[in-house]
Amino acid sequence: MALLTPYSKVPELNTATVLLVENEEELQSKLANALVRNENDFNVNVRLARKLPLPVENKETRPRIDLIVFIVNLLSERSLQSVESSLAHLHSDCFLGKVCFLVTDGRCVLRHVTLSVSQTADGVNAAAVRLLNILKVSAGMSPIATTALYLSSLTRCSVTSELEED
Amino acid sequence: MADLSNLAGLGSEPSGEIDSSASSANNRSLRLAEKERRKGEADPFGLAVKYLSQVEAGTVVRGNDELERNMVVVETVALSKGLPPEVITVLLDLALSLNAGTTNCTRVLKFLIPATVVPQEAIVKGASWLCVGKMPMNAQVLFVRWVLTVFDLIDCKDNLRSIYGFIFSFVTEENLCPFICHLLYLLTMREHVHPYRVRKLLDIQAKMGRQPFLTQLLALYKVYHPDLVTLSLPSRVRTGFKNHNSTWKVALSAVQRKNKGAVLVDQSLSLDVKEKPSTRKRKLHHLAIPPLSSAFDSNSNKKVFRLQELRSFKELLENIHNIELPAQMGSLLGSALALHYLDCVQDESASLRLNFWLGHSLQEEFLLCPVDGSSDNTSETCRFLSTILFSQQFLQEGFSSTESFLYKFLSVWDGCLLRPQILDLLSDIPLMPSFYMHKLLFEPLKQLYFTSTVFFKCSVIECLNSMLVKWLTWHSVSALEGGLDISLNSNSTMTMTLSGFMDSVMELVRFVGLLASEGLRLENSMINLINMMFVVCDMFLKYSLPLIIMPPAGVFYPALFATDSVSVDRLGYIMYRYRKNLTLAKKQEQQREQTFHISRNTYKEFNRNLQAMVNSMWNSWWSIPGSDIEIDKDLIALSKVAEPWCRFDLIHHPALFSYAIEFHQRCWPEKKNVDLGSIKIGKYWNWYMEFLFNQGFDGLNNFIRTNTGHSSGLSSQDDSSASYRFLFH
Repeated sequence: MALLTPYSKVPELNTATVLLVENEEELQSKLANALVRNENDFNVNVRLARKLPLPVENKETRPRIDLIVFIVNLLSERSLQSVESSLAHLHSDCFLGKVCFLVTDGRCVLRHVTLSVSQTADGVNAAAVRLLNILKVSAGMSPIATTALYLSSLTRCSVTSELEED
Repeated sequence: MADLSNLAGLGSEPSGEIDSSASSANNRSLRLAEKERRKGEADPFGLAVKYLSQVEAGTVVRGNDELERNMVVVETVALSKGLPPEVITVLLDLALSLNAGTTNCTRVLKFLIPATVVPQEAIVKGASWLCVGKMPMNAQVLFVRWVLTVFDLIDCKDNLRSIYGFIFSFVTEENLCPFICHLLYLLTMREHVHPYRVRKLLDIQAKMGRQPFLTQLLALYKVYHPDLVTLSLPSRVRTGFKNHNSTWKVALSAVQRKNKGAVLVDQSLSLDVKEKPSTRKRKLHHLAIPPLSSAFDSNSNKKVFRLQELRSFKELLENIHNIELPAQMGSLLGSALALHYLDCVQDESASLRLNFWLGHSLQEEFLLCPVDGSSDNTSETCRFLSTILFSQQFLQEGFSSTESFLYKFLSVWDGCLLRPQILDLLSDIPLMPSFYMHKLLFEPLKQLYFTSTVFFKCSVIECLNSMLVKWLTWHSVSALEGGLDISLNSNSTMTMTLSGFMDSVMELVRFVGLLASEGLRLENSMINLINMMFVVCDMFLKYSLPLIIMPPAGVFYPALFATDSVSVDRLGYIMYRYRKNLTLAKKQEQQREQTFHISRNTYKEFNRNLQAMVNSMWNSWWSIPGSDIEIDKDLIALSKVAEPWCRFDLIHHPALFSYAIEFHQRCWPEKKNVDLGSIKIGKYWNWYMEFLFNQGFDGLNNFIRTNTGHSSGLSSQDDSSASYRFLFH
């Protein structure tokens, strides 16, 4: 099974590539537009997919992917299932800072949520900005050396037991 | 029946001929025909009502065209304009007596939209029909739900309260139980709480399990009679009552919006509400502060003043023992007068009900309602949150339901929606034990913080700063009143010792230190952080809290070597204050043998920082072996900077460099080669110091003065002083 590995390719100069994976393809295009429209110091390539594994045909021409974003719609169970099955196609090294989860329509209480997006235009823009921040670090372009692993350790949410709502 | 004639003009479609496919020309001709007919006849609506009021028991329903026709007339009017009170009485009677059959019963209940008020006699009569027991279960449930929906439109609730016992007897019906509990919750007064009722509720709870609606009602009973309800209830009860108004929501709001001019919507009395008084439409499915209803209470024999009738503070003071709270507790939020009353009286049941309403609104309408992205939805929510904010700031403490809402919301917040309001509400959160702080507050904030813009980062630090200030203020106020065991805000039952408080404060400061250090690494310059340290350094002196926390290295050194002069100056001020705090603490410790004890580590840390700062700025020697910022000599030599050791002193520091050059030009305007070293000689040094501190660097001034003994501007009165004064005019 071909796994998506984080470091198997050489990065390009001043470029970062982000892969947006969403089953429903609702938020993908909006987010992609917002990402590209932002003024960045570096080039941003956005690639879209519905699920992993990515098609084998493009394997050679595909650039190195710096950040993989899974978009989950909390109101649809199929979305979550598709993400779960896609996760099996990722090399375990990717989880050290190269993977991010984006959640929409999440109004109920959840734990372990990484990023939440409200569907308004402002929300999409804000989410795009945040993704760019993460992307900058993942692609190694952060000004003072911050690795993706370090950032993920900073934003890690510890597993908690049910709090007594007292 | 004056208003009936008004309403008749709206029944433009003749009954029984509702043909949706009619063209407009057809409609017009129908209208003309109708007008002709109307000139001769009386109004169809009045006739319909009259007919329906005379329907006897046992009337045949199926195939009864006349009945159907009249029903349709009334239904149309109801859904468009709403029904006047008398008609509601008639229709309710008709429906619940089952004179027109069971299907018509539910049908009538479904379109029973009041236009203005609902007379309480109708409800009482309805309750009596309920007692007869002939209605099918779904009709009974529908009726109770209807009562809940129009509860605020009932003109007076006294008679309802007098049949409290009858209503209570329905609590045993399993299907009715949730809604009856809700109704009882709204009606209960102190005199209704009796031991046998409590026992009954507990029995039902034993059978049905701990249902939220039962718990809610028991909580209210407990507030009135804590001795009768002995079981422990969670102090923060989650929203307990089922949604009751879904059937009528849309129609009711439509009717009320139409009648905006006609319905007496009282502008809530507010003495100094900051927001502009917008028309508060009663939209049941949106977030809005409901207006204080202006139902008249002429039949009541209790001599109570309703809160909404008060017009001035003076009236409030005169009648403070006779006030009755409105049924819709949320309406208190916008009014300063009402908040005054709540604060003075400290009525636990009132605050319980207010918290419940607030929690319910925030939960149901905000958290669980899907966001459709419309801008007026957001602006309405914005206004709602601003009102809550205003009330909280007025009362100078937060509501517990806002607190729970914020914890739930933070984990799904995207950092962008309603950011200013949410952050302001966050800063109102009362003190909590340090154990919960991580899970509830820090974790979600961390995730948002590290991936957001600089602006958001600064806002978060600002918010946490004001939270700290509020906690410290609260502590310094309450510590004066009580002993060491300080209870939290007046509604909470948790108490916290002084050491627990200090733990929480320490956790908060450490967290901000972490955020600050990492934020500085990621972003490059964040002047805002230094403000936080202002509060922290003075904790001992200003708030008499025996806690001294040094800034972390990740904040101290970037400030010391910053390229902007403001940060350097502020750092000087902070170190100066720390020194003052520490010397005072040491003195107190020695003199009075206080129970607190500043650890040696704190002093060590301070000394280290002080050393670093003085060495860099005064002694021109910043890379001391063994300090935090030691760099290998060879590495420094590689940079090929001349005289690397003095690069961070008062003349060559990147932030103060420009001032040195300006001074140099003023002293030696003809010199072409700038030699900053010449400033260090003799009297020029003193002049330079005075020049520098005249630029407004008070913090740095204080720092240098206290730590090096050098004072500028107080030199001996020689004639050179006269000359330098001339220089600087």
